[in-house]
Parts: sequence; C-alpha cells; structure tokens
Amino acid sequence: MQQFANPRRFLRLVDLVEPWAWAVTVILFAIGLYLSLVVAPQDYQQGETVRIMFVHVPAAWIALLAYLDMAIASAVAIIFRHPLADLAAKAAAPIGACFTFLALATGSLWGKPMWGTWWVWDARLTSMFVLFLLYLGYIAIWHAIDDPGRAARIAAIVALVGCINLPIIKFSVDWWNTLHQPASVLRIGGPTLHPAILTPLLVMGAAYLALFVTLHLTAIRAEIMARRLRQMELARADEV
Amino acid sequence: MDLAAPHLGFVFAAYGLSLLVLLGLVLWLRHRSRTLSRALQQLEAHGAPRRRAVAEAP
Repeated sequence: MQQFANPRRFLRLVDLVEPWAWAVTVILFAIGLYLSLVVAPQDYQQGETVRIMFVHVPAAWIALLAYLDMAIASAVAIIFRHPLADLAAKAAAPIGACFTFLALATGSLWGKPMWGTWWVWDARLTSMFVLFLLYLGYIAIWHAIDDPGRAARIAAIVALVGCINLPIIKFSVDWWNTLHQPASVLRIGGPTLHPAILTPLLVMGAAYLALFVTLHLTAIRAEIMARRLRQMELARADEV
Repeated sequence: MDLAAPHLGFVFAAYGLSLLVLLGLVLWLRHRSRTLSRALQQLEAHGAPRRRAVAEAP
C-alpha cells in the first residue's frame, strides 16, 4: 500500500487499470440493465415500479460506501500523513454526493406511486438527506479555505464526525417507525428477496461499485494533477 | 416489461435521471482531467520549476 504513496507510481497504476475498469463497468451495466428492464418480473403488489429498486438501492449503497471511503481516507491522512489520502478523500466527495442525490431522487420517484407522497421526514429519508448535506459541507470546506493543508485537516475532521450518521442511516428503519421499508438484502438471516429480483439487484450493485471505483481513480488522478499544477504555479510565482 | 402498466413514467424518470446524473459526472471528471493535464503540459513545456526544486535551490 505504501508503495502507491508515490503519486507518480499511483498515476502509472491508474493509467494501467483505468481502461480495464471502464470495460468491466460497461459490461456489468449492460448485463445489469438487461436483467433489470427485460428479465426481472413485475412485483405482485408494486407492478413495474419495482424496477426503480435496481437504480435506487445500488445508488444508496454507493452513497454510504463513498462516505465510508472518504472517512477512512481522512483517518489515514490524519494518522499516517499518507500523501494521497487527503486527495483520495477529496476526490470521493463529489462522486458520493451524486450517488446520494440519486438515492434521494429515485427514492422520491418510487415513493410517489407507492406511498402517495414524494417525501416524508422519516428517519431513513432524513438521515440520507443529512448525508447529502455532509457531502456538500465537506466540498464547501475545500472550496472555502485557500490553504490546502488546513482545508484537508478541517475537512477530515468533519468527515470523521459525520461518520456517526452511517449507522443511523443503516439502522434507522429498525430503531424508529419509518415509512421506508426495513432492510431486505444486507440483513442478519440473509436477503428476503426472491432470486429473480435479487440477481438483477446484485448485478446492478456490482455495476455501480465498478463505476464508483473507476470514477474515484479518475478523480484522484485529477486531484494529483491539480496539486502538482498549484505547486508549479506557486514555484513560478516565487521566481517572479 | 409491460408498456401499458401504470406508473411507468416514474420508472423511466428514475432510469433517465440516473443516466443523466452519472453521465454528467463521468463527463465532468474526464473534462477536468483533460483540462488539468493540458495545463500541466503547458507549464512543463515552458520550463516551470517544481516547488521542491525552488525550495532546495541555494
């Protein structure tokens, strides 16, 4: 792991891995969309609207995973001063924010025909909305503070404090009475879904995961280049 | 998929929005990478020194 602390070595690795990561992502999406839109049956109660689950649930999974990734990278940056960790955390934020927005928006599109409302302030929806605000806050800190070192430290602390929201999101449906249904895949005792629905969901989950990994690598590379560009511009300004 | 089923507009809206947001994210990241890479190449072509090199200079 430590050998990839060298940004040049990491960039070479990304150049090597990225085309394959894109290939895997496209293949998984092609299979996942075929299973979701063509093969998966209608639900006996929800009818065709059950298909929203195949884009809503993976988006929610990745929204949580991206935050966990951001928080772990922030912890590594604070504890070990790994030179890429703060950039990895920063790179994950806009991606995580997009997936969180998608989880909220597609959930709303699913809620209207099934619950009769676009939105309710129940524990699951509210805690997901808080996650979205945490992402926006984290991004705002990086934009608001000029000194990257100071911005990284403050953003890392915010990311770590915000971690408390992750178990709240996960267990909100168990701890409180919510309109949102309880967990049906990631639960003790195994999934409650029929394989005909579970398989497309897991393939779409894998596709979203592959997309997240690919985009995260691309974003980290961009952050490395942005940092190098800033250093070169500062050096040039010192010369003048 | 039953194209006569009720609420199908919500299904298409969910898939369309997902496609739009994810495609936008991909395009934004690729554009940012390309812009930064071009700016770096221009600076390197003009012989801009690295900050460390400046710091190490006597």
